[in-house]
Parts: sequence; structure tokens; C-alpha cells
Amino acid sequence: MTDWEIIGKATQFIAEEMGVALKRSAISPNIRERMDHSCAVLDSEGRIIAQAEHIPVHLGSFKIGSRNIINYMREHNITLKKDEMLITNDPYISGTHLNDVTIIAPVYHDEKIFCYVINKAHNVDVGGPVFGSLNPDARNLYQEGLIIPPVIITDDIIKMILANFKDPETARGDLNAQISANKMGINRINELKSKYGADEILSSWNSLIDHSRELSLMALKSWQSGEYTAEDYLEKGIEKINIDIKLKIDEYGVIADFQGTHSEIEYPLNAVEGVTFSAVAYAIRSAMRYSIPTNDGFYSIITIKAPYGSLVNPENNYPVSGGNVETTQRIADVTLRALSAFLDYIPAASSGTMMNIMMGGKIGNKYWSYYETIGGGNGGRYDSNGESGIHSNMTNTLNTPVEIAEKEYPFFFTRNNLRRNSYGKGKYHGGEGIVRSFRVRSRTYISVIADRFIIPPWGLKGGFPGKTGKLYIISNGKKKSMPSKFSTVLEENDEVIVETPGGAAYGEKQ
Amino acid sequence: MVTVSIDIGGTFTDIIIIDKEIHYYKVPTTPANPEQAVMEGLSKYLHKDIDEFIHATTIATNSLLGQYGLELPRTALITTKGFRDVIEIGRQNRPELYNLDFHRPKTLIPSKLRYEADERTDVNGNLVTKLDTDSMENVKNSLIKNKVKSVAICFLHSYMNPENEVNLKNYLSEYFDNISISYGVSPEPREYERTSTTVVNSVLMPVVSGYLKRLKSVLDKFGSPEINMMSNAGGLVSVDEVIKKPVNIIESGPAAGVIAASEFSSILGIDKVISFDMGGTTSKAGTVINHNVEITAEYEVGGSSHHGRIVKGSGYPVRFPFIDLSEVSSGGGTVIWKDKTGALNIGPMSAGSEPGPVAYNRGGKEPTLTDSNLVMGIINDKMSGSDKILRKDLALKALEKLGNPYEVAESAIKLANLEMARAIRLVTVERGLDPAEFTLFGFGGAGPQVAMPVADELGIRNVIIPPEPGVFSALGLMLADIKYEARMSYPEDLEAGFTGLEQKLKYQVNDPEFLRYADCRYVGQGSELTIPVEVPDRDKIIKDFTDTHNRTFGFTLERPVEILTIRVFAIKKRVKPDVKSGKNTENKPFERNVYISGRWESVYVYQRDALPVGQKINGPAVIEEDGSSTFVPPGWKTSRGENNELRAVRL
Repeated sequence: MTDWEIIGKATQFIAEEMGVALKRSAISPNIRERMDHSCAVLDSEGRIIAQAEHIPVHLGSFKIGSRNIINYMREHNITLKKDEMLITNDPYISGTHLNDVTIIAPVYHDEKIFCYVINKAHNVDVGGPVFGSLNPDARNLYQEGLIIPPVIITDDIIKMILANFKDPETARGDLNAQISANKMGINRINELKSKYGADEILSSWNSLIDHSRELSLMALKSWQSGEYTAEDYLEKGIEKINIDIKLKIDEYGVIADFQGTHSEIEYPLNAVEGVTFSAVAYAIRSAMRYSIPTNDGFYSIITIKAPYGSLVNPENNYPVSGGNVETTQRIADVTLRALSAFLDYIPAASSGTMMNIMMGGKIGNKYWSYYETIGGGNGGRYDSNGESGIHSNMTNTLNTPVEIAEKEYPFFFTRNNLRRNSYGKGKYHGGEGIVRSFRVRSRTYISVIADRFIIPPWGLKGGFPGKTGKLYIISNGKKKSMPSKFSTVLEENDEVIVETPGGAAYGEKQ
Repeated sequence: MVTVSIDIGGTFTDIIIIDKEIHYYKVPTTPANPEQAVMEGLSKYLHKDIDEFIHATTIATNSLLGQYGLELPRTALITTKGFRDVIEIGRQNRPELYNLDFHRPKTLIPSKLRYEADERTDVNGNLVTKLDTDSMENVKNSLIKNKVKSVAICFLHSYMNPENEVNLKNYLSEYFDNISISYGVSPEPREYERTSTTVVNSVLMPVVSGYLKRLKSVLDKFGSPEINMMSNAGGLVSVDEVIKKPVNIIESGPAAGVIAASEFSSILGIDKVISFDMGGTTSKAGTVINHNVEITAEYEVGGSSHHGRIVKGSGYPVRFPFIDLSEVSSGGGTVIWKDKTGALNIGPMSAGSEPGPVAYNRGGKEPTLTDSNLVMGIINDKMSGSDKILRKDLALKALEKLGNPYEVAESAIKLANLEMARAIRLVTVERGLDPAEFTLFGFGGAGPQVAMPVADELGIRNVIIPPEPGVFSALGLMLADIKYEARMSYPEDLEAGFTGLEQKLKYQVNDPEFLRYADCRYVGQGSELTIPVEVPDRDKIIKDFTDTHNRTFGFTLERPVEILTIRVFAIKKRVKPDVKSGKNTENKPFERNVYISGRWESVYVYQRDALPVGQKINGPAVIEEDGSSTFVPPGWKTSRGENNELRAVRL
């Protein structure tokens, strides 16, 4: 009899090792340097046993995505054979946005599916009209890129996919990396089986899930039961798009009810259920303040009630690319805000936007595409100031070094500094945002999806809000202020100046 | 001829003196003034002049982490205009995903000591804006007014053309003794990592030169020998080099351990070695293939590690050659605990050396891995480096709080073994190597206890416990060669690039051998593979890169390959002392109860010195010596080899 803790830990290491393999062999800086990927081991029912995530937005979306994929396979009578893998990026199934490509593979034991290994990685371009595929002008899902329903990977399928992605060589490398990460996971699980035996493993996995659930429930017990509401907004032009939450907390779990939230929109800010779940799960897990293994046990305490047809659970085919990067931040914000009603240690709002910038163009007869996100100010805390120039909440991706970006793309950077006085003042002020600016050395298409340009990050306990974000384009000596979401063409030597929001303050200045 | 090597670790300062015979000593480290322990140890054990002195120390890391009241000198940074905050923004990520209370490592340069210069070099090395040093007068005055002790200069793309950096350094050197330019320390792209490296170097310059001055005055009493220091890359460098580039010695102690494994593997004629060094707070693993160590250029000082690898953003990045080690926080002092649901956990907290394991009876309350090994009968109750006796009764009491003390102890050790196996997997599997083909070298105070169980986790069938495992790293100092590194990025002509680097190195090393490397990647990848270069032929390098990529990651790409950085090591072999002769004593084995797989077994305990060469011992057994115990589990067979090593084979 081996302790479940030992098999549990070994399984967590397998998920981690898959992540390392994926990162080390991927091509795009997006995965290699920014670690926009996650890996997990699922049992045959699709429950998450162990997960290695580097970016919180993948945290809970895996739960929804895995469940949906397993259900889809059942409904469509798909049984993955040994050595077969299934690929999909349909956000309404896999749970984030088209850029996140998910690949799942079965692990067999005695002619039966024993468990699955799965991974998800952000591919830098998945087709569609704009470079980077996050299209601020999308009015439906079809305008955001190629939709891959859950299909078994074959050479033809890969050909079909790569013919639609704008940087097929990079995509080929990244897909290879995803496939080889799964292969490594399968080998490790097989080793684990021969060492401990299948039954021992299954019972340990159950204990692992129970353990995580028990830890989560204990955290909840120390919380004040009740119903807590909050509201926050996204920006669509000058229109406010509201997200309303009612958190019902008791010792059995947390119900996040989004009744009253804005209905779905023909604008790429809709958040599929997976995104909504992951943002709530992130906020709850962070607020629990101690380490809980990421598996189905933790997830099982959270229930989402998101009205069908609303911004946070849209009907099929509404555009969603920004939901995964911006709406997700606002859902985390609104959940944290609701929690702040009874938890004093919840910080004031952080910058609240990932400041997504997608660029692309043509050099010679080859297309290039580039994607970056820019950190901002972190909110003031109950006992300290917020950190400056950093990613908060739902993302944690790295920046691209200026020296590398200038080498590989037609950019000339002019600034990468903290944005002075951008934070909200108070007892503990927020962190400062970033000013990042660059000129383009050739004609470039640019798309931006950002937020908090009009409504600033909120303070807590009398702390002041942070400064809103700004983006300027200087063309022919004229400086033009841009909205938070747009796409346009930059001519040679045009300069882009991005200023990200500062964090809000916690507490009144004495 | 008297050769002395001293390895200052967190707990003990290990001293080896070779004067015809080899002598090993341990004295407690004096962290705030490390030279004190050197003085005490040498005065006690040596009454002669020293001819050769070789040294490894943790002073650089301890200072950066602000440990033991070591204070950092006031340091300023000058950057390209528009980029003064790169040092704070870093890579814009936070080290912990779900911690709302997270803090970044404390910035080494406060905002008011960050200055900008109106200058710019472009990506191809062309000067877009030449630096006008006259415009820097205000900055200079401000530096003086702020009583700055050390200055770091890092300009964009200076690795392509250092002109502006060099001019500013020349201008400021009239006023400041300690100046580092990024071209001098880390001439390679990625501005944050290069800036950080330069800053760490500048901060350390006054600290390390001060320490070396004090050490020299200690050694003046022993004939003022020349000092050689162990670098992160596992070679010896001079004091002058260390004063100019103190980033050289950040990981000097751990490097010494791998070098020891590497050199000893040559003596034994073993080609594929995993060096596994388990001490009081951490375990470190590295690979040695054909007696060559693996080098990496990515490191973060003071960073925390997650499953063996440093978490990006948790420390201060340093781009300088380091022996590639993976590290897990499992050591003898690692704490065993249960969470609120009663699930068993180990670490990452460690009782360290103060208060140490419960059995030390110095106030430790939480049971540790050492306490577990003690109650299970794997180690005896003699305390290493002291005359004191370990208190088994206290260890038992502490473990009892968590359940059946023996079951808890055994499970905790299994969990720790899994973590350590994980660290070893990282340095092998990550590179496409199969650990089962390797021989595991287990050393450090706690390494021999777990080497064979850890080998079992990995399918490794051969284990070596080298002589004097407790001071094996200090032995590595004795065995090391002189080794210097130089590098440049984006070379236009490979042969000219390598020859230029070699010319530069000839000033530092007399009549050296050269090893050439190229850091290559497919265009667009985020990090590089370091490829040994035999002929400076681009096609051959690209072919080798492609092969290595295929072996490591399992595929290649139809994509251009670029050579980002080339580097040369200049190596001068030293004459090595004989370290393999052992003593022979006559101690009879006795029996002791050891807890193995849930039950007590009476096993033989042997004294290592008393084992006749070649005599086979079947596990379960324990082999004891001063400072460590080797546990031979069932299924393993061990014997003492001709070079005083213990050789273990899985049956």
C-alpha cells in the first residue's frame, strides 16, 4: 500500500513535466517566453487530477473544457484509440478563445481508457482577418479565425489548419510541441501504472481530489456566510457594459450568480462559460490564501450561474476573443470586489487590462505577426503599496525584450518606463503603470484590445482610483488619442505610445 | 608543497589540507565575517606556510539576500534615455500566481539612483545618438552628491557596439572606483537580464573586494599564497578577475561539488554521471557526460525554485556561465508537517542549521528529514562537526505529533526522494537523456543516505559514494582547473570572432587550451542551446544544433538557425593532488535495527574505513563514516573500490 500523497505528488510532477516539455520545444515567443500554456492529467470521466498552469485564465477553463470535450466525444461516438489525439479550439467547447488550441490524448490500460492527458497553448495566429486573430472589429466568431471542432489529428487535418494560420511554420512548431508534451505525459503515466498498479493509482487520485476539496471547504468555513453583490464595467466605445455578481457563500460552497449582467454583444467581449468560471475560481482561490492542489476537488466547490445569452455565457457564434483577455479581468475584479465586503485583505483594483497589442505586416513576400501584452499597476494592499509595472490577476505573461523585438520585427522602441504618478493615492497607494512606446520601420497593421480607458480601477476603504489607460499614435507630427479598442494601419515611422492604468489605493490617506 | 582548499557553506566551513597526506576538517561558518572561520580553522590545524590556496564562498549570495546583516553598498544605474525602469519592470510577471500579497524581490537600485543618458545604438550596432560625455556632468555631480559607491552602466544594444558605454565609463572612472558596463559583464541581447547582471556585478564589487582584502590579510599569516577561486562555471579564476566580475563566484560552492564528481569520474573511468549533492537545506543535481559539465547562461540569484527550476521573477537574473544544476528544497533540515486535513507534506521550510533538526536539541520543534533518518536507524546519533550526541527521544516525540512516528518518517522520506528524483529528471529528461544510463554520485552530508532509494525512483542501477562525501565539494576545489570565459553576440565572421575572444583570454591565462561554444536557436525561439564548436563552420554548427535539437525536443524545423552568442573557455590544467587514498581501520560490524518498508529489520552496520577492498555487502546494510552514513537498501550490493569509493549496483 503506497500513500496517496506519494502517487498524488508523482501525478502533479507529470503535469509539470509536460508543461516544461511544451515550453522548451515550442517556437513562438508567446509560449516559450510568455508561458501562455497549461497541461493537465484527467481521469476517464474528465475530472482534473493534476494541473500545471502558468497563466490563471487557463485555471478553471480546463475544467469546463475537459467536461465539454468528453461530453462531445460521447455524443458523437468518438473513442480515441491508442496513439490518437484530438484537437479543438472551439471556444464554446474548449472554454477560452480561438487562439487557445487544446490537444487531448488517451492513456490506455487493459484495452480501456485509463485517463487522459491534455494541454492548451495560445497560438499566436489562428487565421481570420487580423494578425494575431484578436480582432477588435469582430461581430461574430467567424471573424476571429478558423474554428476547429473536436477532430482526431491526422496529417490532412494539420494541413488544413496550417493553411489557415498566417504563420504556418511557427504554428507547426507549436503544435508539434503540444503533441510531444502529450506523448511525454502518456509515457509517464504508463511508468506510474507499472510501478504502482492501476487500482492503487485510481484510489490515490480519488484521495487527492477529496483532499483538495476538504482543504477548500475548510477555507470556506472561516469565511462569513452570506450574499455579497458587486458591479463593474467594461467599455464598448463610450458605452458601459455592466457585469453584476451575487456571491452566495456558505460552508458547502460558493455560488456566483451573474443575473443582471449585460446581454451578449456583437462585439468581441463575450466571455464563454469557461472564462467566467476561471475568473471566479481565480478570485476564490487567491482569497483562500493558502496553497490548494489544483484539481477537481477545488473546482467542485464553485458553481457558476451565468444566464444563457448574457455577456458571461453567450450563445454560440458570438465573438469572444477579448472575453478571454479583458472580460476575464473584469470578472476577477467584480468577484474580488464582492469578497472585499467581508475580507479586509482583498486589494484595491489593479490595472484591469492586459493591454493586448497585435501587429503584423509583410516583409518581402512573408507575413509576420506579433502579439504583446503590457502590465500595469497592481492595486494597493491592506498592508502595503501595490507593485508597479506588472501583470495582475488573470494573466502573468512575460514581455518581449526590446532588443529581441527590434531584431525580429520592424520596430524601434523609444520608451519602456514606469508611468509616473499614475497610481491612486491613499494609505497604501497602487503601483504605477507602464509607458511603452515605439516607432514602426515599415507599414504595419495594428489592432488593440484594452480597457479601463474611461472607468478607472476602483479604490477600497477610501483609497483613490488609479489613472485610466491611454494610447496615442503620432503620425506626421500629429498626436492622436485612440480608444481602448481599434484597428488601423501605421505608416513607416509612425509612433505608438501606450500608457497602462495605474493601480488604485487601499485606505484613506491620513 | 602545502595545498589548502576551503569551501565556506551556510553551516560549515570545510577545510582540506594536503601536506603529503590529506586531512579533512569542519568548523562552524561565521556568516557575517566568513574569514574568521578560515582564521580559526587554519590556526588550529596548520602551522606551516601555504603554497596554493583554493576557495569557494557564499558571500556574494548572502550579501544580495541581505542575510546576516551584510549590507549592500549604494549603487546607481545609468541607462539609455527612456529605459531607466527596465530594472524594476523586469519581465512584468509576478513570481506567484495566486498570492494577492506577493512582493517582488527588493529592487537593488532605488528609483532616485536610476539615471538616463541621451544615447542610442540600433539593433545592428550603428550609433543613432552618440553619447556626449559633457552632457553627463549633472549625472556625475548627482552621483557624487548621493555618495554612490558603485555604478552600473547598461545601454541598449551595447553588445553590438559598446562605444557609448565605454566612453561613459572612461568619463566616470576619474570619480568612481567601482564601475561595471554591461558589455564587460554580459555582452548579449535581452536588456533586462543584461541590466540585472550588470547591477548585481556592481553591487557585489565593493562587497567582494572588501572580503578578499580581509581574507588576504588572514592568509598573510600563512605565507601569503596566491588565491584561486571557484567560478560558477566550475573553473578556477584569479582574485583580480573576481574583483572585476564578482558575478563569477555566486554559485561557487555548488559548482565545486559537480567538478569533484566530474574529476572523480575520470579517475574511475565512468562516462555518464549524475552528481547529486544533498545538504542541510537543499539538494542539487547536475549531469557530467564524458567528464564535461553542462553549462547554462540563465540564472536568478536568490530566486525560489518550483519543482527544481528557478521561478522567473523570483530573484535577480544573472547572465553568466553557470554549471546547470536543478535544485529542490529537500535537505536534512527540511520540515515534515501535516496540513489542516491531515495530509502529509514536506518543506519547503527548513530548520536549516539554526535551530536545526529537533534532535540537535537547539530549540527545533518541527520534525525534519534528519530526525526521520535518526529514528529509522539509518543514521547514528553522532552529530557531524561536533562532539554532541543527537537526541533520538526528542526526534521521536516530534514525529509522534504527526502519527505513528516510524510510518510518518518513512513516508516523509519517500516524498523527499520523489522530489529529488524530479530534480534529476529535469537535468536529464529535459535534454533527451535517459537517467537509467547514468551512474549516480551521492554526496553532501545527507546524499549517501538517499542515493540508492533515489536511484530506484529513476531506474538507475549504479551508484557511487565518493570518499569523504561530507566534504566532497571542498575536494572538488583541489581537483579543479583554471578556466576563464569570454563571449560576443551576433559574430559576423566566426573564425575572427573566436580568435578575437581567444586573444582576449590569453591575457588572463597563460598557454591555455580553448573550448569553443555557440549559442544557437531557430529564429524566433526564446532561448538557445549551447553547442560545442570544433570547426568554426556555420553549416557544421547548424547541423550539430539541429541534431541536438532533435535529441532534446524530438523534432527539427524548416526554419533558419541563428548563432546568437559565441563563447570561449580558456582552460589550463592543474597538477592534481592524490585524493583517493583512504585510511584503514579495524572495526567489526555490528547489528542495528533499521525501519525498512514498514517493519524493523536487524541489519549490519559497517565502518567504511574497515571494509576490505572488494568485499561485497548485500543490502539492507548501513556503512558509516565521519560525517555521513550510506544506506544500502534491499536489492543493492555494495563494495569498497580501489579508489576508496563505495560502488553500489542494483541487483
